[in-house]
Amino acid sequence: MTTDMLAVTGGTKIFYRGTLDERRALDGLNIALKPADFCIVIGSNGAGKSSFLNAVSGKLPLDAGRISIDGQDVTKLNAHRRAQFIARVFQDPMIGTAPTMTIGENMLLAELRGKPRGFSYGLTTPRKARYREQLSELNLGLENRLDMPVGLLSGGQRQSLSLVMAVSTRPKLLLLDEHTAALDPRTAKLVMDTTVRAVEELKLTTLMVTHNMEHAIKYGNKIVMMDAGKVLLEIGQEEKRGITVPDLIDRFHTKSDAIALQGS
Amino acid sequence: MLDILTSFYGLIPVTIAQSLIVAFVVLGVMLPFRILNFPDLTSEGAFPLGGCVCGTLISMGVNPFLACGVALVCGFLAGCTTAFIHLRFKINTLLAGILVMTMLYSINLRIMGRTNIPLFTYDTVFTILAGPSANVPWVKILIVGALIALVVGLMLYFFMSEKGTSMRAVGASPDMAEAQGINVGIATIMGVGVASALSATGGSIMVQTQGFVDVNMGFGILINGLAALIIGEAVTGRQTILRQVMAPVVGSIVYYQLISFCLTLGLAPADLKFATGAFVLLMLALPNLRKSGSGTQIREKVRE
Repeated sequence: MTTDMLAVTGGTKIFYRGTLDERRALDGLNIALKPADFCIVIGSNGAGKSSFLNAVSGKLPLDAGRISIDGQDVTKLNAHRRAQFIARVFQDPMIGTAPTMTIGENMLLAELRGKPRGFSYGLTTPRKARYREQLSELNLGLENRLDMPVGLLSGGQRQSLSLVMAVSTRPKLLLLDEHTAALDPRTAKLVMDTTVRAVEELKLTTLMVTHNMEHAIKYGNKIVMMDAGKVLLEIGQEEKRGITVPDLIDRFHTKSDAIALQGS
Repeated sequence: MLDILTSFYGLIPVTIAQSLIVAFVVLGVMLPFRILNFPDLTSEGAFPLGGCVCGTLISMGVNPFLACGVALVCGFLAGCTTAFIHLRFKINTLLAGILVMTMLYSINLRIMGRTNIPLFTYDTVFTILAGPSANVPWVKILIVGALIALVVGLMLYFFMSEKGTSMRAVGASPDMAEAQGINVGIATIMGVGVASALSATGGSIMVQTQGFVDVNMGFGILINGLAALIIGEAVTGRQTILRQVMAPVVGSIVYYQLISFCLTLGLAPADLKFATGAFVLLMLALPNLRKSGSGTQIREKVRE
């Protein structure tokens, strides 16, 4: 048996505990991913998808439960400590990159993710050459603009850059938080294609949150549907083949059906 | 008119010496505001803190270099305190700065034991380095200028190093910085601490050139620093880290010459703070008045 790359057991997060507004964002969540799993997370708004991703990244400390990455318990590690295992692409292109810094500097920040940072000069010539090579695979011409502030790029370019930054270090876990949702359809497809290529090529264990049911069916080898902070339904590779968008949407709204299906 | 120009010309060296000293404070204002995106008012308290600590130690017979070092460390701790208050208790950065600055006033008085200490009779860094010519403006310019050049060079190198790049990322996008494994809290505390250490160093040099310490010496220094920073950025721009680090020094020199010129033209010293405040206000308001806006200001979102 191989070790799970990601294992969340009994993950619980309660907001406003003990008040009238008490809300269980995560309620005994259990998820396990094998190495190279590409898992799509879907669920209605407020189902706990974002809390789940934030709990994994360490931004949201759990109230109960455990999280381990590649067999190592990371429950108690802060977000910046977990960054050695995890790379993340945010929904908002403005958040995932440092806008006032150059493309080269952003690549440098990503390269040193989770590694000790010293007082030596940052953007050395060999590094720049490597970044040019990595960026040239995007075919966006970013490789010729290493000294340009990222804030001057379009949303799609920034998201593509974010993606390269995330995958270039071959993280143990890649978190994609609706990373194409803020883009126009054409750019979204471009970023999505790049994502799939990178994930498959580098065999990255990936969690992708999306509201796009077509993406959920088309990509990945596993679908996890969340509701009320729990996994409502897990669809494996075999089941996933025959499924259609209406099927998924049906299960979104009829909880009892979904539970029945899960039981069968 | 000619005599006005002559007296202005005569003041140039003295003014340059003063502006180079204040340049430390302007660097200390720039770092949190521009690099860390952490609007910080601690300088207003750290500057007199540096002066009081250094002056008191010198008057006790401590070596002036050592006194400057102690002042620097005290300033660093003051800045760390402000950043810590903000991070730990989620208190607005400006309010955290005001709290520390206000409390520092009492601390400064306690350190000195009185409101004013004359230092004319004691050895200072300048008398040790330059002997009897310590009071010649060009000597001061040389000594302070060399120190400023060293600080600017170090900052420039640091901000292009691996560690410095990550500190800049904290200001540019805290979420991104954290996701890249950067300890945002530590970087903020260190950055604001170093900024206040610079302001305190400015204070410790100031008391040695003016020959006395006064507990009220820092009054309005922050707005002066901000005005100098804005002028400097208007001259050098902010596009590269070199320009950003040069702006405080250039701005300080230009700003104090402008002040000196206004004073020789007959501006009453009493009106100086109003004029400075109005100027800063105008410069800050200008981007909003021109609706089309300038393309260079990518972000002006400030931490709460």
